[in-house]
Amino acid sequence: MTIQQIVDPDHIESELLKIWEALAAEKKMRASLFNLIVFTRLSPRTDYIRSIVQKVVEKFPCRTLFVSQDGSAKHSFLKTAVSVVVPNLGESTVACDQIDIGVAGDNLEKVPFLLLPHILPDLPVYLLWAEDPSQPHPLFAPLSAIATRIIFDSESADHLLPFAEKLLEIHTKRNIDIADLNWARTEGWRDLIASTFDTEKRLAELKQISSLKLIYNARETEFFCHLKIQAMYLLAWLSSRLSWQFLKATKKLHFEFCPKIHATIESTHWENLGSGTVISVEIAAGGLTFEAARIPEQYHRVNIQISSSQTCELPYQFLLGQTATGQSLVKEITTKGTSTHYLAMLKELTRLGLGDLC
Amino acid sequence: MSTKLNPNPLQEPGRSSRNIDPCIVVIFGATGDLTGRKLAPALYNLGREGMLPPNFACVGFARREKTHEQFRSELKQDIGSYSRTQPIDEGFWNKFQEQIFYHRSEFDDDQGYRALADFLRQLDNRYATRGNRLFYLSVQPKFFPIIVQKLKANGLIYDSKTEGKWSRVIVEKPFGHDFGSAAILQKELSKDLDESQTYRIDHYLGKETVQNILVFRFANSIFESLWNYKHIDHVQITVAEEIGIGTRGQFFEEEGLLRDILQNHMMQLLSLVAMEPPVSLSASAIRDEKVKVLQSIRPLSPNDFENTVIRGQYGPGFINGQPVNGYRKEADVDPKSSVETYVALRLFIDNWRWAGVPFYLRGGKRLPKRGTEIAVTFKDAPGVLFQQQGKKHDPNVLALRIQPDEGISMKINCKVPGPSSPIQPVKMDFRYGSYFGQSPPEAYERLIWDCIVGDSTLFARADEVAQSWQIYTPLLEYWASHPPKDLPNYASGSWGPAAANAMIEKDGRTWRIL
Repeated sequence: MTIQQIVDPDHIESELLKIWEALAAEKKMRASLFNLIVFTRLSPRTDYIRSIVQKVVEKFPCRTLFVSQDGSAKHSFLKTAVSVVVPNLGESTVACDQIDIGVAGDNLEKVPFLLLPHILPDLPVYLLWAEDPSQPHPLFAPLSAIATRIIFDSESADHLLPFAEKLLEIHTKRNIDIADLNWARTEGWRDLIASTFDTEKRLAELKQISSLKLIYNARETEFFCHLKIQAMYLLAWLSSRLSWQFLKATKKLHFEFCPKIHATIESTHWENLGSGTVISVEIAAGGLTFEAARIPEQYHRVNIQISSSQTCELPYQFLLGQTATGQSLVKEITTKGTSTHYLAMLKELTRLGLGDLC
Repeated sequence: MSTKLNPNPLQEPGRSSRNIDPCIVVIFGATGDLTGRKLAPALYNLGREGMLPPNFACVGFARREKTHEQFRSELKQDIGSYSRTQPIDEGFWNKFQEQIFYHRSEFDDDQGYRALADFLRQLDNRYATRGNRLFYLSVQPKFFPIIVQKLKANGLIYDSKTEGKWSRVIVEKPFGHDFGSAAILQKELSKDLDESQTYRIDHYLGKETVQNILVFRFANSIFESLWNYKHIDHVQITVAEEIGIGTRGQFFEEEGLLRDILQNHMMQLLSLVAMEPPVSLSASAIRDEKVKVLQSIRPLSPNDFENTVIRGQYGPGFINGQPVNGYRKEADVDPKSSVETYVALRLFIDNWRWAGVPFYLRGGKRLPKRGTEIAVTFKDAPGVLFQQQGKKHDPNVLALRIQPDEGISMKINCKVPGPSSPIQPVKMDFRYGSYFGQSPPEAYERLIWDCIVGDSTLFARADEVAQSWQIYTPLLEYWASHPPKDLPNYASGSWGPAAANAMIEKDGRTWRIL
């Protein structure tokens, strides 16, 4: 990134132009596939959100409009700054604009008006709403109104149930594309399960499931504290795909489904693995035992063992991909439409009697 | 209207690319140049990006004595030299290499195939690969029939209707030497191999920019409505290479440029540019339309052989300021060789869409720069306005750059600021690199992956290959009986023989400078 230039709002484009003129000697090329508006409150998570944005930009150059609200400021303010983001990819010739808006107090209402003239025309507008959408916020309605796709992160939600309900409402009312970073984080596990149970025989065995155990990483950090969500997503996804009927849940995250399925979500602590990440999945189904567990020190690899009372298959490995910062995450939030599996999973979550479980 | 049902509720069509059948890839000619330069890096990158099935193994099959460890070590070296991603991801490689094996045998030795079958069964048990096999024949075409025959005889190629497991064979080009030899080869292969199991590779089709031709044409309504004889003056397809023949002297002496580039790569480009919209994006629908284009090409006549087909051979000259030898001084080349290293010709497609529109094709070695491009030149606007001293404006040109600097540009006319209103052509330019930053997957990655998932869209079908040979075989026969007298006829580092310029200029047009 070039050094941020703090500028008056009416000099945003002209200052950007000056930076580009200075970069001309380095043969950097100005590129943008879409507009990416990011909204977050200033918190320890802000740097994490910035790192996600950097990953997006590396894969798909875009004009970023990064809005951060300082909720603890004593005085109202509005600051704007511009910079050019150069992907950290060796000698890439591509770079793109970033406009930063810091805001506090009653200046918040000015933000949509400040953003509008800087949206590049004819390009999609993605809104990364890094806050809980179930909590009312004066910027959500005006910013989502100009967005063609909204990206959420359930990690930012205080409670999963209102989050799921709100997203379903947004999708139904606006028929807008939605994505969720936490859903993207579970993609590797969904692929693993789908590719394991990919024959009629295996699928039939899976449908006789009697127990499911999911273990997640309970390592808490400053900005990752809702740690059960990814495991809940996997459970709700399986439940929705295999048409289980929810019966009851306990505070210890034990779930009962019809027909006679017992599911548990448990935690453990792995220091160097992403917080909330699913560590292992165990399934008992029709005399078959399926165990898939991340390999310590090779976290993105999963060892898979399938056995029955008669046979024990040789274990094999599955590459999950480094979803936390990798390509599949970027693809999920930018190029794919709304996942029908995701919508079904959200609906399932609303049926799971989450109460204060998550 | 019927909707295709997704039988597996765990899979979401169009979203996940990871639900791939487990399989074993067997590479014949595993110690050859192609394996090292292209196939090994392709498999490595596919694996690294999680695109290979988790239950996967690769077996190299070749005639040299070698251990598994030696083979792995050589592949690692090749990947280190030729992979688009560097440096090697040691963590990934250390695990991946455990799934790579070597099998030594002659291509015609039954015992070797029996041992291969046993070995693959062992690997099936070890890696749960379920008997699925992809055989990549990276060998000289003369070995194709015997390898396929032995594979079949040893139960390694299944009946195409076998349920629960599959076997597929990728064959490298050239597929035949002319129409007759291609037909014989096809007849030989089809004794043991169904068309649905045969994947004739043309790596050009694996290039992202070539695949984008269909997207560009059929996902943008503004161009398709102009894509016909009413609006298009002519089309130029150029495949220019700066390099000479390098160490391929022996191969080139047998093949020549027409067989090496024009009959396959350039005809694929022409088919994609000229085809009608397919009824769907299925492999058969797209290939049906491509074949129709080839069937519509007006046969070249003896008059064309003399006047609108130009062959050339490079003489000495300069590339990047450095002197280079002529073709006849290259290694393994006859000093009196009459093999062509350049071809330019004009084709017509006699169908409703393209009536009267010439397609100029030009391919050559030792041209000033490397570049593959399709340029569509539109007809002039009615010349009543903005005339400048009787001169016509430049026509609009839409150029699809296939490589390098992949992208699309459009030449349009624009007013120069100021009172006298001169008209200046300007270029609107889209560059893949600007928008999509990172390096796209190599063609071989895409094609191997497509074969594993059973999608033959980007592979040439038997009738496509036959049709293309049908166009060029009379020309090749004519050339064989009429050796050229003026070779070499262009200097290395020039844009080809003067006769090629004269040919197009006679039509009132000029070759584009890339």
